[in-house]
Amino acid sequence: MSEPIESFGKHLKAIKTGLKYLISPNRITVYYPEEYIELPTGYRGLIRYYPEKCIQCSLCAMICPAGAMKMYRTREDKKGRPGVNYQRCIFCGFCVDICPQNALEMTKVHDVAFKQLEEMIFTPEKFSQEPVSPVVAEGAKKLKTVIDEERGLRHEPA
Amino acid sequence: MRVMNIEGIITWLLKIVLSPQVFAPIVFPGLLTALMVLLIIIWAERKIAARVQMRVGPLYVTRRLGGVLQMLADGARYMFQEFIIPDSADKTPFVVAPVMALTLAIVPFAFIPSAPGFVPIKSQYSLPAVLALISTIPLSVMLMGWASNNKFAIQGAVREAFMGLAYEAVVFLSALAMGLLYGTLDLEEAVTKQWLPGLLLNPIAAFTFFVGMVMSAGKLPFDIVEGEQEIVAGPYVEYSGIIFGIGMGLAYLKLYSLTLIYSILFLSGWNPVITPLYSIYPGLAGIFLFIKSFLLMLFIVFLRAVYGRYRLDQALRAGWRVYLPLSLIAVLLSIFLRVVNIV
Repeated sequence: MSEPIESFGKHLKAIKTGLKYLISPNRITVYYPEEYIELPTGYRGLIRYYPEKCIQCSLCAMICPAGAMKMYRTREDKKGRPGVNYQRCIFCGFCVDICPQNALEMTKVHDVAFKQLEEMIFTPEKFSQEPVSPVVAEGAKKLKTVIDEERGLRHEPA
Repeated sequence: MRVMNIEGIITWLLKIVLSPQVFAPIVFPGLLTALMVLLIIIWAERKIAARVQMRVGPLYVTRRLGGVLQMLADGARYMFQEFIIPDSADKTPFVVAPVMALTLAIVPFAFIPSAPGFVPIKSQYSLPAVLALISTIPLSVMLMGWASNNKFAIQGAVREAFMGLAYEAVVFLSALAMGLLYGTLDLEEAVTKQWLPGLLLNPIAAFTFFVGMVMSAGKLPFDIVEGEQEIVAGPYVEYSGIIFGIGMGLAYLKLYSLTLIYSILFLSGWNPVITPLYSIYPGLAGIFLFIKSFLLMLFIVFLRAVYGRYRLDQALRAGWRVYLPLSLIAVLLSIFLRVVNIV
């Protein structure tokens, strides 16, 4: 008989905890399309290519474990320049690491959608343009994550 | 002469609409109020759960009002969805059962008084009548499950039957305890007998009735008949379109009528009566009854954020081994209180 009485107290405790969060909510999500969280340094998003730094060594295409990076050759340019297929890319960052000239860079853009699979293949021309996050382009507010001793995570305007 | 006639017709219509026999089941506390409650309570349930679980909840339908019209949008979506009758289903009961369930969920409002002297059907036995009507809803739910001719649906229907038996015994006994205590089975008289709220007079009955009510409405932690991870929507699994919406709303309608009864039996009903409102129109004096039952419903839907689900056997064990004896104790307590003549 003591078990039901004991569990009754536990039920009350659970309800109390629930009420505590109901009265002072500790929201950890953000209103995403209107606000976005600033990503940490070293975040591996879409890759940006700087053609002026590139020495066309094709190391990036060789190191790529997913076979996503490919050298695009033309008649005038026999060495070729890298392009990436985001259908295959696993965002491991090996190409960025191996590049001797730092001609490749990982940006923080991660929230891009493609309407067709063909759009995910980036030729060197497209690859050398700055990737744009649609949310940032629409003027969303930037938030930064702050660790609060009492509440845990908190978001403040950055 | 002609103008007089039209005026006469209008007053006649007004008299019909404002008579308790029409106003109570159709406007308050009946159908229209129930639909409003349905729209708001489902939104509130999602919003409360989201608050406790550190999320935002429904928002983008009427952003300024916090997404309160979300359910209207969902309802419109259900309304225009195709209603599919499966080939293997037993067609007549498949169509009739949900309609019957909804009707049975609304009929109890005919017996529930909302203000002193304001009841559509005045009866000495309104309490057992309401409970009996509410307890017939599982029958039509079982019919839904059976007619669907689907494994999940039949399993859900059987679970509904198990749960139905378990909670009905508890709800009936705790209601009987209150009936004994007040010496009447008339809901209207029960309110006048409460010099203290029934919650304080017989707390055991109040507790068991509360648990039975949560079980009956299938709210968490007794959300056993439906379960996305095992039997999908239970008895409603084969239904689509607006009938699926009815299946969803059914539990809330049941909860609404049960919370009204709870407020009448345990929270001293419509007292304190606001006299100016009563003198304008008796039906308006039920506002406190509505507020009490609405707050109670908010608390019950809040439980969703606190609890996980019980298994069927755990819920049945709790129902038969804990709450049934407790409700019997409540009856004994009522008899004792009656003997010492406290009410």
